[in-house]
Amino acid sequence: MKMENKLPLTDAWVIWFLLGVVMINYPFLHIFNKNVLVFGIPVTILYFFIGWPVSIFVIYLFSIYLGRDSDQDRAQNDPQEGPDEETP
Amino acid sequence: MIPVSLVVLTSLLYFGVLFGVAFYADRQRKLGRSIIDNPAVYSLSLAVYCTSWTFYGSVGRAATSGIDFLTIYLGPTLIAFSWWFLLRKIVRVSKEQNVASIADFISSRYGKSAALGAIVTIFAVLGIMPYIALQLKAVAHTFDLLVYPFATTGTTHVLPKFDLHFDSALVVAMILGLFGVLFGARHLDASERHEGLVAAIALESVVKIVAFVAAGIFVTYGLFDGFGNIFSEFLTRFPEREHLLRLGSTENSYAHWMSMTIISMMAVMFLPRQFHIMVIENCREEHIRSAMWRFPAYMLLINLFVIPIALGGLLLNHGSTFNADFFVITLPLQHGQPWLAMLVFIGGFSASAGMVMVSSVALSTMILNHILIPVILKVHTKEHNLSRLLINLKRLGIIAVIFLGYLYYRLLGESAALVNIGLISFVAATQFAPAIIGGLYWRQATRLGATIGLILGFIVWFYTLLIPTFVDSGWMSTLIVEQGLWGLTILKPTELFGLSGFGLWTHSLFWTMFVNLGSYLAVSLFTKPCAAELEQIRNFVDVYNPVPITTERTRITRAPTVIEFVDLMAKFIGEKQAHASISTYLGDSEINEKGSLSEDELPKLKRFTELTLAGSVGAAPARIIIDKYLSARGSHMEDVFDLFGSVNISRTASREQLGVLYEAAHTVASGNDLQSILDEILKIFTDQFKFDLCVIRILDEERQTLTVRSQRGMTSEHFGESERDLTADTFIGETYLTNKTSVVNDSDFISKPKTAVIIHREKILSFAHAPIAVEGQPIGVISAFSRTAKGIFTSEFVELFTSLASQVGVAWRNAQQTDRLITAREQQRELAIAKDIQLGLLPTKIPDFPGVRLGGLCIPAKEVGGDYYDYLIHEDGRLDLVIADVSGHNVGAALIMAETRTLIRSRSDRFTKPHELLSELNQFFYDDLTRAELFITLFYLQYQAVSREISFASAGHSPTLLWQARNQQCLRLDPEGLIIGVKEDFTYEQESLTLEDGDVLLLYTDGVIEAENDNHELFGEKRLVELLSAKHQLPPQELIDYIVEQVRIFSGRHNFQDDVSLVVMQATLH
Repeated sequence: MKMENKLPLTDAWVIWFLLGVVMINYPFLHIFNKNVLVFGIPVTILYFFIGWPVSIFVIYLFSIYLGRDSDQDRAQNDPQEGPDEETP
Repeated sequence: MIPVSLVVLTSLLYFGVLFGVAFYADRQRKLGRSIIDNPAVYSLSLAVYCTSWTFYGSVGRAATSGIDFLTIYLGPTLIAFSWWFLLRKIVRVSKEQNVASIADFISSRYGKSAALGAIVTIFAVLGIMPYIALQLKAVAHTFDLLVYPFATTGTTHVLPKFDLHFDSALVVAMILGLFGVLFGARHLDASERHEGLVAAIALESVVKIVAFVAAGIFVTYGLFDGFGNIFSEFLTRFPEREHLLRLGSTENSYAHWMSMTIISMMAVMFLPRQFHIMVIENCREEHIRSAMWRFPAYMLLINLFVIPIALGGLLLNHGSTFNADFFVITLPLQHGQPWLAMLVFIGGFSASAGMVMVSSVALSTMILNHILIPVILKVHTKEHNLSRLLINLKRLGIIAVIFLGYLYYRLLGESAALVNIGLISFVAATQFAPAIIGGLYWRQATRLGATIGLILGFIVWFYTLLIPTFVDSGWMSTLIVEQGLWGLTILKPTELFGLSGFGLWTHSLFWTMFVNLGSYLAVSLFTKPCAAELEQIRNFVDVYNPVPITTERTRITRAPTVIEFVDLMAKFIGEKQAHASISTYLGDSEINEKGSLSEDELPKLKRFTELTLAGSVGAAPARIIIDKYLSARGSHMEDVFDLFGSVNISRTASREQLGVLYEAAHTVASGNDLQSILDEILKIFTDQFKFDLCVIRILDEERQTLTVRSQRGMTSEHFGESERDLTADTFIGETYLTNKTSVVNDSDFISKPKTAVIIHREKILSFAHAPIAVEGQPIGVISAFSRTAKGIFTSEFVELFTSLASQVGVAWRNAQQTDRLITAREQQRELAIAKDIQLGLLPTKIPDFPGVRLGGLCIPAKEVGGDYYDYLIHEDGRLDLVIADVSGHNVGAALIMAETRTLIRSRSDRFTKPHELLSELNQFFYDDLTRAELFITLFYLQYQAVSREISFASAGHSPTLLWQARNQQCLRLDPEGLIIGVKEDFTYEQESLTLEDGDVLLLYTDGVIEAENDNHELFGEKRLVELLSAKHQLPPQELIDYIVEQVRIFSGRHNFQDDVSLVVMQATLH
């Protein structure tokens, strides 16, 4: 039960992190790096100021999920248990 | 322009508020009501990351070089994803190891290396000092902007009414120093946490975001018509500066973008102040979870207006970038909003102050722990109380750090751009990343690898970043940048080894990480971690899967007492702190009756003392302090397994233990007799562990004493041989009674006087007893005594000893079972003999008697039974048939049966009437049967050969069946009569009949009709009658065999539950 919960969590984290790295780097950035205005705002700036809150929202969801997970841990009286082999 | 006095007054008032909040937080903590113990405050305190560099510098950078300032915040947002794994692990390790700073963390991971701690400290100070200078400069500069917008910075101001000359940067430095001393170094706390400081930082974070957002709204919506308006105006008026809003320009290349992201990802975690606030000041791990999104959200909000302010500033200043860093304060000033400018000044001041306060505390902790204490320990340790000296040094450290920053600012002045200094510090912090992250996840990482990596990384950092900055400032000749060191172009600081085409930051990040990470990995691969490192690898890498503490493998010779440990702690952290720590610790420790700790507890106390000291002075100094202290008093840690004469590493020791257990198990399984097994086990044990005496005592149940069954070592007879009563007066008795192992590791502390006399007489230093139990019940005690050493019975050893005791238990139980098996076999043999004898008592052959044919069979249900039948031929022409059934199938029944036979055989001649014989039998057996709680049923039939008359009597026996040929019917012969042995005087009824040719008599015992099938149906008389009617013509023996077969078929079993006996008499032609 616990393994099922934890493994996708770590996987999800790695995927989101890599996605984040890709999204704020070349060549992905190049897509939005154009001299175009949307609502009067340059699209590059707009991309960052929309992407940024979205990624914060993803972390927010992630932290909610973590909260549920660690509450379960606590319910199982296993506070020592932690992720084993996560690497950054 | 705002009057100086007003700015000063407002600033002082704000300081007052900060002091008040800090005091309040500290006070609440003392009352146990922490105000910082919540995720929002933790997240706000992390925003100490946003310094004046963010507050002012971002705008300047956006106005001059474009949007790359965003990376400084996007990087941290990205790394925040990892916090639940990475940061939480760092926090967990730091709490468990009482880590006091980032230098302490690195030093602690690599075997508490003092050298590594010092290296990290020096580099951190070098890397952060300019950053502090930058903050002071920002405060001074904005102060000037408020009061003398057109003056040059660094001038001395005059407070008009008091005619007081002052330098605002110096005053701010002094006040921040005071704050740092008051809230960052009040005492040498065992846990380096400062709630007052954190509360003030959190408040400052609120102030700075409010101020900045207020300024942003004013510019965006007050001076312009929103975001769209600013952008379109900007692009219309300065189309040539469109690159400021785009990436990919020379200044803002993608490589530069990526490097900045990486640098800020590392900086947000490994700048000393960030590490301090994130890790050391963390109250709960759970706070990290919400900080993961709150902190990025804070950064998003504070950056929302950076570009509008920058562009607005450019628009309103006709494209001039002069003082672009301070657009946020000059715009409100220029547009008649002095109060907003004042608020922005306070916000910017908050950003600077927060950074300076936390950095100075973090750096002074590092300087004290990793530079000063090692020196102090070398020069004078004799002084009784060092705690006062240490805390004063720490206070001095805080002031020194801030004033060095001030000095740097005065020397460097205007020369370096704000943002460069910030990034230089960021790259410095990035150098700590390999050693920290690698140390958390990579077991192979070694101290030498980390040291060389860090040193090389910092040398390259200095060369590729600081040298060009110095050249820019005019401190150094431009030759080195233009032509390289010693004129070697491959050594050009900005194009090292010919790597050109990259910006300053990308170039420096690449080379620093290349040498740092490269040498860290390479050297680690080719070196091996030492023992101290191995322990820390477990504590760091496996922090989530802790292995049991293995201190019990060591003991302290000439161990200090608890009081001495407390004195040692007091010397460094003060008496109050020391006493508070020890009372918490002792709360859950075992103290023996003399108030001292048991042998096992002492190494733990040593470890605790070291950890407590580490919380104040750092891990490496703590280790040095303890080691020095122990060696000074002639104590040292030793490996307990040395005493066992075996090799001294734990892994080998446990192999030897397993060896002993294996050999013991082998002996138990050998099948030898108990005595030799016990002797052999003791031999294995004493040979391996060199005990002076080992004894096995087993309970003598009759005398209720523990008597010696086996003994080895020590010639003193009376000691080992003496028996032990089952009382709690002796350790052996107590061990037996409580069924628990007792251990005395130091015979100087014996609670039982009776034992003490013997132990002291025999000069025993330590001993242990373990109960020998079989299925949980103690049956004896195994004991081991040592005359050579105290403290040898570690908990690990006791485990082995207990296992050995249970092996002895197994041996004892095996022996008991063998005995029982032998007894059972003997009984079996005796029963077989009884069976033979009993079968011999039945008629061995069928007699010939005129006019009748006979048959008989008895099948006992067990070895011996209670059924009996007989044919008795008398000289007067009589034939008596007897069938009897003694209740039970045991030996008792068999004996009664034998007696019955004897009596009938001896008396039947005298009695010519069956009922008289029955009465006689009843009288004779009454007493015996009553006593034995047995009874007999019996049918007696007498046949007169001449008259063919039968007379018969029954003592409660199953009716005899008579097949009458004449009317082809079965008749039940069932005269009245009580079972023998029920009533002493009883008159039995007798009946008579005359047989005719072809009549068949069937006598049987109840085993026939009570045979049961699986449906619990009885065979019954009716079936027997049918069988007799059908097969009466068969010869008697065949008839019997047929009936038995049918009964077996009916019951479905070969064996009968009860004895089965049958007798058949067939009247033949006369």
